[in-house]
Amino acid sequence: MIVRHLLRATLTAGLLLALVGLTVPAAADETCNSPYVTKLIKGQEDYIYVWTLGVEGLGDGFDKLVTIDVNPKSKSYGKVLGSVAVGTRGEAHHMGFTDDRRFLWAGGLAEPTIYVFDIATDPAKPALAKTIRDMADKTGYLGPHTYYALPGRMLVQALSNTKDKGGVTGMAVYNNQGEYVAAYPMPTEGGGDGYGYDLAVNPKKNVLLTSSFTGYANYMRPLGDLVKDAEAMKKFGNTMVVWDLKAMKPRKVLSVPGAPLEIRWSLNAKDNWAITAAALTSKLWLVKPDAKGEWQAKEVATIGEPAKIPLPVDISITRDGKGLWVNTFMDGQTRYFDLSNPEAPKQTYAKATGKQINMISQSWDGKRLYITSSLLANWDKGGADNEQFLRAFTWNGKELTPTFEVDFTKEQLGRAHHMKLGSKSLKSS
Amino acid sequence: MRRAAAALALAWLAAAATAAGHEAVPLPPLDYEPPAPGTYVLHRIMAAPDGEVLGLDGRPQPLSRFTRERITLLGFVYTTCIDPDGCPLAYRVFDALRPALAARPALRERVRLVTLSFDPVRDTPAAMRHYAGPRARTAGGPPWHFLTTRSAEAVKPLVDGFGQDVRVTVARTSGPPRREISHVLKVFLIDPAGMVREIYSSAFLHPQTVLNDIDTLLMEP
Repeated sequence: MIVRHLLRATLTAGLLLALVGLTVPAAADETCNSPYVTKLIKGQEDYIYVWTLGVEGLGDGFDKLVTIDVNPKSKSYGKVLGSVAVGTRGEAHHMGFTDDRRFLWAGGLAEPTIYVFDIATDPAKPALAKTIRDMADKTGYLGPHTYYALPGRMLVQALSNTKDKGGVTGMAVYNNQGEYVAAYPMPTEGGGDGYGYDLAVNPKKNVLLTSSFTGYANYMRPLGDLVKDAEAMKKFGNTMVVWDLKAMKPRKVLSVPGAPLEIRWSLNAKDNWAITAAALTSKLWLVKPDAKGEWQAKEVATIGEPAKIPLPVDISITRDGKGLWVNTFMDGQTRYFDLSNPEAPKQTYAKATGKQINMISQSWDGKRLYITSSLLANWDKGGADNEQFLRAFTWNGKELTPTFEVDFTKEQLGRAHHMKLGSKSLKSS
Repeated sequence: MRRAAAALALAWLAAAATAAGHEAVPLPPLDYEPPAPGTYVLHRIMAAPDGEVLGLDGRPQPLSRFTRERITLLGFVYTTCIDPDGCPLAYRVFDALRPALAARPALRERVRLVTLSFDPVRDTPAAMRHYAGPRARTAGGPPWHFLTTRSAEAVKPLVDGFGQDVRVTVARTSGPPRREISHVLKVFLIDPAGMVREIYSSAFLHPQTVLNDIDTLLMEP
């Protein structure tokens, strides 16, 4: 066991040391929302909301929610409609809709703060409705990452803690009014490393699945410093946890080495499996029950050439569970895997979509894809490689075709990160 | 426990009773083994809101009269709903729960069911009487209250307070304009102090999960 841990740590450190400008986290989109989120946009989306990291000296320098018109029939197609700054620069990262899709919760990894945007009163002009500041006091958690709707509540997965700013963390539950309800620590026994990253629910099976990354002390460090610190490099997640959703209790810790990140359940009602990508080892892992009903994690595919550290950072599953988009940050490749057999995914397409790419979101019908560029402020590439954009594409099943691009640096906005789709039809009645 | 499970199974098998517009479709089996009562915690999610409602006799009363002192299972409906995963599902689950609760005197006296319309324009007390049928009067089981409100203005603070999203639109695609309502099913489990302890969606609203949750609340010190 010790040998295995050492090997794993060495492998992790070796991979990271080999990086020039590393990366990590991400999440997406219309096919990847919580199953409790209502009013999915199954036609043409009107807007895309981009949660954007502030950059000192660029515009107001604050984190902000940027709204872009993405309806080809609109006169302002491909243009920035506006933005809402939150008055701080806290490493803006991910977002999630409430179950009624009236509000969009967002947060940064550098602070224990959650921003709640009203997107229903006027979907073209989101407004900051509430700021939740009690997560650290109530839970001790830091760096809220994933916002996952439960009925009437929001399940928030944090990445770190305020005590030592390491990776041991947990999940917090708030009601939709923004009031704290409960906290659940990530398991540190039974093989658990206590780390968190993403979470996703299969309600029909009463299963919550979580993944693991690293803590504030690592993800806020300049990458050049981090990779020289052998001890710090050991502190990355190597587990996923299967939870009893109803009881919110861990049922089984799965060994998934190399920082398993985004989790996507197949949306096909007949399926009962989820897939994830391990960032540091560049592998796809399948999580499903075996013949005895015991949950297992299985490595099922390799993404690019792991020795070259492509660094898969975001995945997006098609609505039928038959295909998976994978963005790899380092080489800027957007890859498509055929998931017809989830036990053996096959890459069938790849295209360079940027010098650095992170998030990928697709429309419900899979015909439109959106890609952004930023991972973490201190981990994005430098110089000319530090492109900051939203790029839109159409997908005809064979080829990605660019449609428009917004240059977030030129527009004085910042680093483009997580995306969510919006629609005029979601205006509250 | 075994007796309750047996009663529940019988209830599902016998779930042939219909309300106005509700087909007698058997409830699907639960696709997992839920945790045993008392092995988990139902946290206090929020306080149930209060406001004026109308009973089947048209008499105004505070909703809190129907959400305090007993464990309450409350579902919003509109009686013309035909979405199988919406109001009809709630009705069928409530209907299946009632005999199971009736079979256990300890539960019968401590639980109530509440069906509250968010469409007061159509769902008058008379319409609710028709919707309820004999269920509002059946003796032997826990009470099942069918409620509505005077107006959309009266129900709005209730649906907002519970976080029950309701959209009313006017469809003009063909024929004369018609009013359409859409909502996503939510059923609320409320403790005797008036705190919401669980919110069920169609994905896990099932008599077995509800009964386990009721037992869990009853096992609290």
